[in-house]
Amino acid sequence: MLKIELTDGRRQRKPGEKIEVMAQWQLDEHADSVEARLVWSTQGKGTTDVQVVQQEQFDNPSLSENRRITFTLPESPYSFSGKLISLIWALELIAEPTGESDRFELTMSPSGEEIELHSSEDDFLRG
Amino acid sequence: MKPTIIRARDNPFSAGRLLKVRYQWLPGSWDELLVRLTALRHRAAIVGPQGHGKTTLLEDLSARLEKNGFQVYWLRFNRQNRSLSGSMWQNVFNELHGKTVICVDGAEQLSFWQWRRLKQRSKQAAGLLITAHQAGMLPSLVQCKTTPELLANIVAQLVNEPSDQLRTISNKLFEKHDGNVRDALRELYDLFADGTMRLSKTVGKTGKQEMAMPLHSGEMRSTEFPLN
Repeated sequence: MLKIELTDGRRQRKPGEKIEVMAQWQLDEHADSVEARLVWSTQGKGTTDVQVVQQEQFDNPSLSENRRITFTLPESPYSFSGKLISLIWALELIAEPTGESDRFELTMSPSGEEIELHSSEDDFLRG
Repeated sequence: MKPTIIRARDNPFSAGRLLKVRYQWLPGSWDELLVRLTALRHRAAIVGPQGHGKTTLLEDLSARLEKNGFQVYWLRFNRQNRSLSGSMWQNVFNELHGKTVICVDGAEQLSFWQWRRLKQRSKQAAGLLITAHQAGMLPSLVQCKTTPELLANIVAQLVNEPSDQLRTISNKLFEKHDGNVRDALRELYDLFADGTMRLSKTVGKTGKQEMAMPLHSGEMRSTEFPLN
């Protein structure tokens, strides 16, 4: 079991903020490493792009650990969604070589909310 | 009625969700394919028209080869990228050894001379697997085919619930795109993106979303489709 989350649970964030992350794992077998990452990725009609912005790797981890990590959010890009593309920020925790993982999504923008690329908020259905 | 627009991340036909749909046999099986591949000494072509699953099959096959101890080296070509540069040639052949299988997606994009040189030099490797629109470049491993049922199954998988109305739309798109599943799925993305097919919220504990689909011009009819 792997779990990654913000210690304060607050998903809406602003550029430049320091965020405190809790990474926890209970592994059934030895892992070569466990890595926590701050990433953004795109989703939509075109190819998915992924950018690892910051990471912290724990080599030869114990089977069960809790780790606190601090990441600093960059100034950009902001979280946004339109018809053709969404940009999504997330924390990821991955154990190698099994590839077992967990993911925690957040939004980053000057307001903390995802920017909507549509003319009218009334037209926009949130899934 | 004003169409309701869905966020790209929530579109059931977004590229990220399509990537999770892997190759589906119709008939055939992985065991049969691997036996045939061994008989062809790992030098073979996956053949078929555009959007019929060649790349998906080659990707799934390469994963199985890696599990079986081979090292896979990928080359991808398309209309925008049709040749190997000098440094790329060097990189390719520096990587070759007796356990390397070269996977070439879009081999028909290469010029006659580049293909001939690649085929010759790849004899140092454990194998050469390609995708191509036409047979003839290497012995055919499999001819990729599609059916309306295949597209309907993929659509049902992505939208998470089968439906007669969705199957009707799916069959029409299959015919419109001559069996090109990729283009049919891309059109479904557009239909959701611009609100032609839409999700609207219903009251209820299940969290199911109601979808309205056009059957005729100006006519809308509701059907429930829960999101994944």
